[in-house]
Amino acid sequence: MIIGENIHKSFGDLEVLKGVDLHVKPQEVVVLVGVSGSGKSTLLRCFNFLEMINSGKITIDGHTIDPKKENLSKIRAEVGMVFQHFNLFPHKTVLENVIEAPITVKKMKKEEAKKLGMNLLRKVGLEDKADVYPSKLSGGQKQRVAIARSLAMEPKVMLFDEPTSALDPELVGEVLQVMKQLAEEGMTMVVVTHEMKFAKEVADRVIMIDQGTIIESADPKTFFENPQSERTKQFIQLVE
Amino acid sequence: MLELFSTVYEVFMRTYPGFLRATVVTLQLTAIGVVLGTVIGLVFALMKISGSKILQGIANIYITVIRGTPLIVQIMFLYFGIVEIYTMDNFWAGAIALGVHNGAYIAEIFRGAIQGVDPGQREASMSLGMNRKQTMQRIVFPQALRRSIPPLGNQFIITLKDSSLVYIIGVGEIFSLANREAAQSFQPFESFLVVALYYLVLVMIFTYLLRWYENKLDVDKA
Ligand SMILES: Nc1ncnc2c1ncn2[C@@H]1O[C@H](COP(=O)(O)OP(=O)(O)O)[C@@H](O)[C@H]1O
Ligand SMILES: [Mg+2]
Repeated sequence: MIIGENIHKSFGDLEVLKGVDLHVKPQEVVVLVGVSGSGKSTLLRCFNFLEMINSGKITIDGHTIDPKKENLSKIRAEVGMVFQHFNLFPHKTVLENVIEAPITVKKMKKEEAKKLGMNLLRKVGLEDKADVYPSKLSGGQKQRVAIARSLAMEPKVMLFDEPTSALDPELVGEVLQVMKQLAEEGMTMVVVTHEMKFAKEVADRVIMIDQGTIIESADPKTFFENPQSERTKQFIQLVE
Repeated sequence: MLELFSTVYEVFMRTYPGFLRATVVTLQLTAIGVVLGTVIGLVFALMKISGSKILQGIANIYITVIRGTPLIVQIMFLYFGIVEIYTMDNFWAGAIALGVHNGAYIAEIFRGAIQGVDPGQREASMSLGMNRKQTMQRIVFPQALRRSIPPLGNQFIITLKDSSLVYIIGVGEIFSLANREAAQSFQPFESFLVVALYYLVLVMIFTYLLRWYENKLDVDKA
């Protein structure tokens, strides 16, 4: 569904991604782990073309993307992204947040968009919050709205960049629950997270990225019980 | 003390019909100065964030020149520079000078407000498939506008006071009236004290209105 081949990305002199290969199959849930600064966010941002890769190849749903020729907005619409800090639009209500892109980008009729928006809010358990502004929501609620907002564009794949890291511990569960449900419905997902329980229960594959390269890639059981690299062993001890 | 009070009172009672008329002129100058300044400011702010080196350069020159020279010089320059070529009454020369002056400050207010919007907002918008233009129009500008309301209000109050400087080209706003009154009545102290009170009351009224409006905005969205 989404394939990265030999991806290189530098910021000035700092080489952050050093030839990453990642092949995410349709309906697969890949959990990406690694210490802070290892390049996880950068990789996700490259997949969504919020950052441009220096070299390599990105293929989405069988279509190899040439950033110079392509309408990147159209591609971004197919790749949903959920951010650590939610980034809800504070000047819009919850429902307006969700229906903004369908109306502006897809030119969907307002009535139709509202129906879609309410369905998605119901899915994340927040239909009663449709008309409030984001500032009135808890962190967990905000993130659930952000997920609904992404889903409104019917993306082919969803990227999550530490979706629960900014949340109070008691609010983490409700967000993970929504993500788990999405995974069960067959959404293709790439998730950066430190929630190892989620990785064990939901992931099809866990990938360890270290200093800009993938050093371990295995099903969760193998990853946690029989990791190959020393760095992965250390990392697992650190987070568990 | 009591004597001062009574002479001030006497000057006030004698002059208030004229001052009320002049107050209208002051408010007109201020309103035109701010509205014109907002339009000019918006254009130059957009030039500054346009990414085009040429447009940025033009905007930078404008802002540097205007902010680097006194308003009174700008008023005289515009008055003698423009009225020479194109006949215009003094009121409009003064109002346009205030607008041009404000434009530079308001451009910086807008630029700061636009750049002050969390970059995450732009990213979230782009990640949903909105293009640059849609992102600016629907996500960044509305938030920037809200952020710029307090500093714009501040600029309005500065303009209210700055409008006194157009007395130099003989526009009949409140300071020029006070100036004339001071000379004719031989009561300069009382005259300027009275005009200071006019400014003070006007500023207090507008400060109050602005604060009320800002609170209302906050309550609506919070
Ligand atoms: N826009 C940027 N400009 C310069 N350096 C960046 C930028 N974004 C990320 N980096 C650097 O790239 C490295 C990897 O960052 P990131 O992908 O955010 O790591 P992670 O998400 O794994 O913590 C870090 O050293 C970070 O400082
Ligand atoms: Mg990160």
